[in-house]
Amino acid sequence: MRGTKNTGGRIAVVFDRISLLGMLLILAAILTAAMIMQYGFGEIPCPLCLLQRFAMFGCCFGLIVQLRSATSEQGTGISLIFAILLLVISARQTLLDLFPRPGHEYIGSAIFGIHMPVWSVLIAVALLLGLATRLALFGGRSYSVMGDGLLTRRLVRGLIIYVVLLCAINFISVIIQCGAGECHTFGYRLLR
Amino acid sequence: MMAAIYAILLIAFVLDLLGRGRLAACCLFLSFIICVWLFLWEIYSPEYGFRMPWLQVELGPIFAPLRSV
Repeated sequence: MRGTKNTGGRIAVVFDRISLLGMLLILAAILTAAMIMQYGFGEIPCPLCLLQRFAMFGCCFGLIVQLRSATSEQGTGISLIFAILLLVISARQTLLDLFPRPGHEYIGSAIFGIHMPVWSVLIAVALLLGLATRLALFGGRSYSVMGDGLLTRRLVRGLIIYVVLLCAINFISVIIQCGAGECHTFGYRLLR
Repeated sequence: MMAAIYAILLIAFVLDLLGRGRLAACCLFLSFIICVWLFLWEIYSPEYGFRMPWLQVELGPIFAPLRSV
């Protein structure tokens, strides 16, 4: 009986780790796609778009903390705060550009017919749902991260380094676009 | 200001990688505060304030008969 309970516990731990890793992987893919859209297709991000990217990086930070420490839910809390920030910023931008008028229309091209701020609303809701579901199913479970296989540990480490590199690239990109002042979508301030 | 937000965020990530979790969390909190301030500054309009007058949510003519009842 105890063996069955232990097996069930191990399966829950594996699913918990997969859910965290999956969310981090999806966020890293979205942030990579944003960079490709910016430099591959020449779509310069607006200030609110950059703040939405920042909120996504904050969610990544929380997920990384959670992946490292399996005894507390601090990382999930950080991710939830930044997911709410992402939702607030993207909902406001969606409402701002809802009725196209001079100086206010959706920036960038639509992907599958949906513009970026609306995608951000969907991403934020998906993150909130994912984190809440994870807490409902696996919350309060403490286990040792050392129980992870070598492959999982390498995958987590690689993904963390990739997210930090993405953050560094975004920082350099923001410097090139905005310098030390206000951000605009007319062009790159340091390349004029 | 945007550059400062990303700089502090990057510092938070690097500190977390180096095992300085508490300091990293402080940096992240600081960047969060600056982000909220910048967001409010970006959406504030001298003309409308924080309101969005292009969104009309008053009762339309379709409800006028109901209101008169």
